[in-house]
Amino acid sequence: MDFKIIPSTCSYCGTGCGVLFQVMDGRLVDTLPMKTHPVNQGRLCIKGWNLHEHVISEKRLKSPLIKKDGELQETTWDEAIKTAADGLKAVIKDHGPDSVAVLASAKITNEENYLVQKFARAVVGTNNVDHCARL
Amino acid sequence: MQEQIKQWLEQGDIDIFLGYKMIQGHPLPYCFTKENPDDLKDLIVGNARYSLEKMATKIAAEHKELKIGLLTRDCNQRALNVLYIWNQLNPENIKTIGVNCCPSNLKEHGDCSYLEPELIPPIKKMIGIDNNMQVKAAEQFNQKERFNRWMYEFQKCIKCYGCRDICPVCFCKECSLEHTDLIATGGIPPEVPIFHLVRAVHMGGRCIDCGLCEDACPVDIPLRLLYRKVNEIVTDIFDYTTGTRADQSPFNMLGEEVTLKPKPI
Amino acid sequence: MTNSIAEFEDSGCIFIIGSNTSACHPLIARRVFRAKEKGAKLIVADPRNIQMARFADVAVQQRLGSDVALLNGMMHIILKNGWHDKTYIENRTEGFEDFEAVVESYTPDKVETITGVAQSDLEKMAELYAVNSPAALLYAMGITQHTTGVDNVKSCCNLAMLCGNVGVRSGGVNPLRGQNNVQGACDMGGLPNVYPAYQPVTAEANNEKFSKAWGKPLSDKIGYTITDMIQAINDGKLKALYIVGENPKLSDPNQNHIDDALGKLDLLICQDIFLSETAEKADLVFAAVSVAEKEGTFTNTERRCMKVNKAIDPLGNTLNDWDIISRLSTEMGYEMHYENPEEIFNEMAALTPSYGGMTYERLGLDGLQWPCPNAEHPGTPFLHKDQFTRGKGLFHAIEYLDPAEMPDEEYPYWLTTGRMFAHYHTGTMTRASKHLDTEQKTGYVEINPKDAKALGVNDGDIVHLATRRGETKVPAKVSKMVEPGVFFVPFHFAESPANILTNSAFDPIAKIPEFKVCAVKIEKAA
Repeated sequence: MDFKIIPSTCSYCGTGCGVLFQVMDGRLVDTLPMKTHPVNQGRLCIKGWNLHEHVISEKRLKSPLIKKDGELQETTWDEAIKTAADGLKAVIKDHGPDSVAVLASAKITNEENYLVQKFARAVVGTNNVDHCARL
Repeated sequence: MQEQIKQWLEQGDIDIFLGYKMIQGHPLPYCFTKENPDDLKDLIVGNARYSLEKMATKIAAEHKELKIGLLTRDCNQRALNVLYIWNQLNPENIKTIGVNCCPSNLKEHGDCSYLEPELIPPIKKMIGIDNNMQVKAAEQFNQKERFNRWMYEFQKCIKCYGCRDICPVCFCKECSLEHTDLIATGGIPPEVPIFHLVRAVHMGGRCIDCGLCEDACPVDIPLRLLYRKVNEIVTDIFDYTTGTRADQSPFNMLGEEVTLKPKPI
Repeated sequence: MTNSIAEFEDSGCIFIIGSNTSACHPLIARRVFRAKEKGAKLIVADPRNIQMARFADVAVQQRLGSDVALLNGMMHIILKNGWHDKTYIENRTEGFEDFEAVVESYTPDKVETITGVAQSDLEKMAELYAVNSPAALLYAMGITQHTTGVDNVKSCCNLAMLCGNVGVRSGGVNPLRGQNNVQGACDMGGLPNVYPAYQPVTAEANNEKFSKAWGKPLSDKIGYTITDMIQAINDGKLKALYIVGENPKLSDPNQNHIDDALGKLDLLICQDIFLSETAEKADLVFAAVSVAEKEGTFTNTERRCMKVNKAIDPLGNTLNDWDIISRLSTEMGYEMHYENPEEIFNEMAALTPSYGGMTYERLGLDGLQWPCPNAEHPGTPFLHKDQFTRGKGLFHAIEYLDPAEMPDEEYPYWLTTGRMFAHYHTGTMTRASKHLDTEQKTGYVEINPKDAKALGVNDGDIVHLATRRGETKVPAKVSKMVEPGVFFVPFHFAESPANILTNSAFDPIAKIPEFKVCAVKIEKAA
């Protein structure tokens, strides 16, 4: 039996409430508000209280997918990454780096966003990077 | 206290102990185990209350034989009594260490610094309900004013269900609050006053006046007062005060022969 | 936000415009309720009759897209009565004369004609905001998602500066960020014109700094915004798109248009935790991890950078987003190797002045509010304390402009879109959540009882909505949330997508589409 409480930050909306994830035997079982958090002071909204539900949803993607014969099929990471890299390199070679664009995300972490724009700028060589701040 | 728990863990009296630990300046619930007895030196009582018994209930549902130790304030102990009565926890598998607790109607004294009476803002006093108010004082309002004040409070509701989700004695698999024939979904505030009255009715014979619901309410609805009133009625009719004993509640005696001494309402 | 969430509890007045706060930012609404109960005045201006309006000292339902006129009208009255903060204007701002000249013409009767707000209400709004300082102004997408989005925001700033409310505790101009890390995504340079911390890509010094840090020459040419990207695909200039954690097929305006565009790409790569409507169209889908499976930081709407901690191992054969990007970079010939997110954070903080003083250890569980330039800096609860970023606060003289599309004979009604309390954005996450799905399972259109009667529509009947972009069928929700002649559709539901209807006309500067206003026709479905 293993039971852990992990403090974290809610990922629904820009308020940034402090949550506690309850983890039993390696499974996420519940979400609680953090009582002493400066933003939400032990309260949450309906989305926050149910934050764990989307994480453990049956609908989650569990494997990389590749389109073959018009259908998305499960594949390995090696194949997925190689196909993506080859595809991007080919587009860059034929049409230049500005023919590639990357969308960062208002839902992923700062670290990930930093890397996404670094990828666009340093790896691809374009400033075609945006996200849905406007939407 | 640490020594006692360590001993229990070592002797196998308990398998885990639910208490609190200070993590980066925040008192958070923590599960102590015999594998890491040294953790116990970090055990604190903490001035933030969480429903450790609700965590115990979740754990026990999946690990039926697990022996669980808990740090209990008075409210946690009352909740445990209710959970025993309703077969959510087996008292034989629970061991508690009691600590001083907060003030409540059921127990007058208390030194829990976290629950000092709230300073009630003036407008709430004028048109809403003082969160420190006792049932008797609330009944001084005339019928119309009482109604208006409660309507004000209920209309603030953002339907987070936090009152239910945090409640140590809410454990039903299906919740009437989400029964679409009873309460319309899809809007806020939830149907006023049905939503709150449905929950209040379900708190009859259940609520142990721990106040966690009110602590969790984003808009400061005086839920504790509402459920106190409901349970005052329960006490009047059934001569039963929720959470004070671990023997049968008049609400789970269906099918058994019982003798009640109803008092006139 | 210029200010902090907790500060609102001590505001003298809170003015909410274009934000359904209790539905979309409930834990910020908490502070508003508490402020109100402490005695603060509350003004609510929203085209819909939102929950917060019930608690307002004055609540108005301005005509969709008329915010500039409404705000100019308030400022007109404030100036007429001498309620403005003359010392503040003198010492801390510029451009006042031109601004004053424009506002002069926004007389209450003119404003009533444009906005539909009664002159007596306008007077009351102006007075409450001006005389109860500090006054905090809160807005959300109701202000920004317009062809005049930038004008609307500037008008909010004009109002706040006029009464000396910027740079003071419990005041300020406070856009409530809709997505958990939209602040962070901007701060991190997820924008076509700037590196992290808004350092322009066109400035040579910045280009040099980042080229050096990343060991590669960099482009100084400003890139495409999302809105430009769709056009560039159609023009054949953009061939490959790599989308990380977004669902533009449902979140961008004019779905038919974007659907066509995505189909024209040579390569579409999506990285997501669900097979979103956009990911379904991809050539490759990278399966990433959710918030509970990763470590990192989010920056909330009050600029507070906070830790996200890993609670469980990645599910199935999924990878951390940072790991996916590193592998892809390396495969493309740019070696990228990190041990953990902390290493990335430290690299970022060294290049991002406003985050310069942050480390994971310092963030703890409370986080730090930027700017936090060095290791001793405690973070910044509110901005522009002694001076504005540019020095003096600049007043803008702004004239009201009509929305890009107004009702006419063919499309006789107003349509607006937004969120409802139980769902988030395109519903990818919330509709996969049992309790949230229970609360609202399908899309709907809010119809005023009067319109419902005239159209012969009962609650739950399926109605047919059509605009110049597209059409959809959706159940009717008869509700006084909207005024007669106005309809509201939430945008969370793929089967009755709001963005098949909405106008792709956008603000010329911010490139934000006009999601909040268009013309629609409606009839009961056969």
